[in-house]
Amino acid sequence: MASHRVGETGLSDSGPSNHHVPHGVFHGFNAPSTSFINQEGSAFDFGELEEAIVLQGVKIRNDEAKAPLFTGRPAATLEMFPSWPMRFQTTPGGSSKSGGESTDSGSAVNTLSSKAEAQFEPESPISRKASNSSDQQAFDQKHLQLQQQQQQQLHQEMSNDISRTGPSQNQSAAKASQEKRNGAGSTSEKQLDAKTLRRLAQNREAARKSRLRKKAYVQQLESSRIKLTQIEQDLQRARAQGLFLAGCGNLSSGAAIFDMEYARWIEEDHRLMAELRTGLHAHLPDGDLRIIVDGYVCHYDEIFELKGVAAKSDVFHLITGQWMSPAERCFLWIGGFRPSELITMLIGQLDPLTDQQLMGISRLQHSTQQTEEALSQGQEQLQQSLIDTIAAGPVIDGMQQMAVALDKLGNLEGFIRQADNLRRQTLHQLRHILTVRQAARCFLVIAEYYGRLRALSSLWASRPRESLMSEDISCQTTTDLQIVHQPSQNHFANF
Amino acid sequence: MNYQTESSWSSYNMPTRSNTASGGDPLQRIERLASENAVVIFSISTCCMCHAIKRLFCGMGVNPTVHELDQDPRTGKDMEAALTRLLGSSSAVPVVFIGGKLVGSMDRVMASHINGTLVPLLKEAGALWL
Repeated sequence: MASHRVGETGLSDSGPSNHHVPHGVFHGFNAPSTSFINQEGSAFDFGELEEAIVLQGVKIRNDEAKAPLFTGRPAATLEMFPSWPMRFQTTPGGSSKSGGESTDSGSAVNTLSSKAEAQFEPESPISRKASNSSDQQAFDQKHLQLQQQQQQQLHQEMSNDISRTGPSQNQSAAKASQEKRNGAGSTSEKQLDAKTLRRLAQNREAARKSRLRKKAYVQQLESSRIKLTQIEQDLQRARAQGLFLAGCGNLSSGAAIFDMEYARWIEEDHRLMAELRTGLHAHLPDGDLRIIVDGYVCHYDEIFELKGVAAKSDVFHLITGQWMSPAERCFLWIGGFRPSELITMLIGQLDPLTDQQLMGISRLQHSTQQTEEALSQGQEQLQQSLIDTIAAGPVIDGMQQMAVALDKLGNLEGFIRQADNLRRQTLHQLRHILTVRQAARCFLVIAEYYGRLRALSSLWASRPRESLMSEDISCQTTTDLQIVHQPSQNHFANF
Repeated sequence: MNYQTESSWSSYNMPTRSNTASGGDPLQRIERLASENAVVIFSISTCCMCHAIKRLFCGMGVNPTVHELDQDPRTGKDMEAALTRLLGSSSAVPVVFIGGKLVGSMDRVMASHINGTLVPLLKEAGALWL
């Protein structure tokens, strides 16, 4: 601390106002003992140093034309007391410099500056380097300002000893502070300088700190961005392999394969929907429209087939509706949509219907309801039987119990198969009851309906939720994976 | 629903005891049983899908005759095997006969119900009156 004080007070006036760098430079030199006593109460004011550096740097430049020296090491101009006794610790660098150059004013400055620099090292090397680069601009600006106005004065001082350049330096410093003050009036020249310099120094300090913070933040952003791209690449690779890495809940391979096939099915659904729409609007002849309509029925047969295969490998994935969009999952019935609900939705939109057709639709609705009820009751009995098996009181043979339970669970696949069968039969019967144009409109309505449910899921998922913002930031990995997963889910239709 | 009890099973077995080992016999028994009532369901008491199909017919107002194969100690297993062969599927039950004719398992019954052919069949067999 003493050394800091030394560096500090060395630049300050021995009087009450200690921001007169030029004064300090030369007064302090004249009376080193007294100048040491004078110090700021607060932390070291680097601003003072800067002023000294600026002014001295200006002098040096004109003096020695050591521009490179100045630009390379602005702190080199700190050496203002060449003949001062070394009361603070000297570093090897500093001493070597001082040894290299003797009475030359520039070298004298170098010595002290390097020493001062060494002193400041432990304090904040980063800030020092940052400040050096930022001060460079400040120096340059000041340099330009001062140089234009004080060129002649400095040239006069060139030949002077450092001690004798005090007054002229004072004048230049005063002029520098005058520039910065924007002509504001004050009581005494000295006090104005001090206040202005202090304010300037504090501003510089604050600017430096904010620059550092910004730099750190930018570096953090960069590293996060790199990490994000890496995670995205990993995800893409994993999806291509049909697997989801840990963090998203592990999907079995059967489930992952089905999800991928379902996503493709959704895309196909969009394409066929567009075909139906254009076919209807273009008033295609029935023959052509029939091809499109039958193609759509086959499209549904396809997904029921895929579900049958998937049920063999991962029945829980299907029956819990994990492959669906959340909004569709609300209406889940044995691994898909409820056919009677679909008919209810369609009834109002299929007009005009003949009486026979109306009766057929009504009968269809009735029979689907009955079948749904029967299957639901069958599934309930399965669940009850499973409960009885697993919850059986004193378990004599755990493995036996588990084997029986497993056997019963196997029936789930049968129920999914029958439920999908019901859905397929319902769609086929609809096709049978309606005319080609009616069927085209009907299937278009169905496709749009489930498309809207999927869109609803997406919108719901992406709605603004302030309370969850912090969660999103802290759990980036899982959120990212969920977001990646959701789009594929949102395109799922309900069957 | 009419459940055939074990006594009736044994009464049927008596006259044909000499042919219990032959493969065709269970099938004959099945046919015989199937023709006795308008709607005949071969089931296993613990099977959930059988429960579903029973509920389906009851829900329609039909009163089917149910034969629980697991409750027939002597010929149940044979009949189950015969039904498996008849249907060509992995599970023997449930199997439905209407008017003595084979309709099939759950998927066939369901398909015929949805496409509207089941109710006329039931009416024809006298199981439904409307």
